[in-house]
Amino acid sequence: MDTLVLLGGFAVLCALGVPVAYALGLAALFGALWADIPLEAVMLRISDGTDDFVLLAIPFFVLAGAIMAEGGMAARLVMLAKVFVGFIRGGMAVVNVLASTLFGCISGSSVADTSAIGSVMIPQMVKQGYTRVFATNVTICGSVQALLIPPSHNAVIYSVAAGGTISVASLFLAGVFPGMLFGICLIGLVLWTARRRNMPKSEPIPLKEVPRIVLEALWGLITIVIIIGGILSGVFTPTESAAVACVYAFLVTFFVYRDYKWRDLPHLVHRVVKTVAMVMMLIGFSVGFGYMMALMQIPAKVTAFFLSISENKYVFLMLVNILLLLLGTFMDLAPMLLICTPIFLPVIAKLGIDPVHFGMIMILNLGIGLITPPVGPTLFVGCAIGKVTIEQVTKELWPFYGAMCIALLLVTYIPALSLWLPGLMK
Amino acid sequence: MRDQYRKAMQWLYLACIALSGIAMVVITLFIPAGVFMRYVMNDPLQWPEPASVIMMVFFSFIGGAAVYRANQQIAVEALMKAVNPASRAVMQWGVHACMLLIAAFMLGYGVHLCVVTWGNTIAEFPWLSTGVVYMPIPIGGALTLLFIVEKIWLGDPPKDDVMYSDAAADLE
Repeated sequence: MDTLVLLGGFAVLCALGVPVAYALGLAALFGALWADIPLEAVMLRISDGTDDFVLLAIPFFVLAGAIMAEGGMAARLVMLAKVFVGFIRGGMAVVNVLASTLFGCISGSSVADTSAIGSVMIPQMVKQGYTRVFATNVTICGSVQALLIPPSHNAVIYSVAAGGTISVASLFLAGVFPGMLFGICLIGLVLWTARRRNMPKSEPIPLKEVPRIVLEALWGLITIVIIIGGILSGVFTPTESAAVACVYAFLVTFFVYRDYKWRDLPHLVHRVVKTVAMVMMLIGFSVGFGYMMALMQIPAKVTAFFLSISENKYVFLMLVNILLLLLGTFMDLAPMLLICTPIFLPVIAKLGIDPVHFGMIMILNLGIGLITPPVGPTLFVGCAIGKVTIEQVTKELWPFYGAMCIALLLVTYIPALSLWLPGLMK
Repeated sequence: MRDQYRKAMQWLYLACIALSGIAMVVITLFIPAGVFMRYVMNDPLQWPEPASVIMMVFFSFIGGAAVYRANQQIAVEALMKAVNPASRAVMQWGVHACMLLIAAFMLGYGVHLCVVTWGNTIAEFPWLSTGVVYMPIPIGGALTLLFIVEKIWLGDPPKDDVMYSDAAADLE
């Protein structure tokens, strides 16, 4: 009955349309009233939820990504990608995916990636003869890489949801190969589609322009060196590396690229504040909700339930993937990570699944949910930028879903993809 | 009266965003300053981390209230969009009631938390009461209540409201 009050209450509130953060808080309140737990305890947990130094990495990564995205970095990464693959058949679509891979090294947000890369790439692809829908589909699917490739603020959220027991540095490293594999699956699909539909080739970039293009893009790509190099060398904590990356991104954008106008800076901060405050409220209320789940022993009950179905970890991973894909169509990535992680962690511990590997599965799976209707923020942003309707896009998204599911299966059933790189650093 | 309240909420929203934005920019400078002092000046500072965390709590709850007014909190609206207008109106009232409840909880129990912890101090800042750290919760609750009243009384803010002024330019 406890479980029904807490999880059922949350589900009803969400279905009603209450913002997810507040639905978590209210469900925790109802749960506390039902279980006769002092409401002060829930309030204290909600406050403590946002009172963690590691969490500071989230605003910093979002801010650094926003500065880079809007400060001309995206256009430069597109140019860099064009140097390598622009001249092949369907090259602009491959450029789009590759630019997202590179942009993922800076941004960590699929919405920001879609907005930045889509604004540059979709018009160029349309101009070259690609359909608007195909260009939009490539953009939104490619942007999911940003969630995996470090620095991903979703990795920080997963670490927080796991109670800070999983190292952010390990999660960052774990995301490298799954992110690249995801990109390779998409590139395979777009190359196959390009051959089938006889899509256009671009003119090769003149060799004399290559050094300038590479140098300009390098300024931005140094951000990833600061972040990953700083963390792995022990010079910075993840939070410090994110803050230093912010300052670096600011200096590069305003003093090297000089594309961004000072008068637009308050608008950028306005957007970032809204994004970050939304995530932080979610985290705060989810900690209160998680506290009630722990008191009601819901994770233990879920563990028992899954083990009653099968004690085979591969079966469990398949069930979780199906469940998350379904839930991901209705809910955003961050709340799903915050709600599901504490529930599943005891199960994966019992089954001997590495939590770092499981984190990659969850992030990739829920990332696919960001481009599925009815609730798909990346899909919505992509459609707005591509000037196409959701119906037009989803009709042609099926091959992309197929490629993404192949990537998800590979990441799920080949743990070494996620664990090899973090293992080297131990 | 309606126009004045709308205007007041616009200013309040702007104040929330400005305060949160300033807090975010300041902590973005605090942390690298701490790194600089540690490695370059060889004189580690103790205050940047706790000060930044306190400011983060402030901008989370105060910015969170503004995010509610801007309709940017993540919500599952599939069912609301699927039902007929009459049912939608009933659901909307349900959402308002739930929001009033949680905002009142944040205000009431937040104040209680501040009062209970007012006598304690923070280790890094012995002059600062722990109650101050909890203050963003009741403040955020009060601000959310004011914004809920605006939505119930006057509806969603118009499209020319200041909260839409951050829309990125269309690059195409």
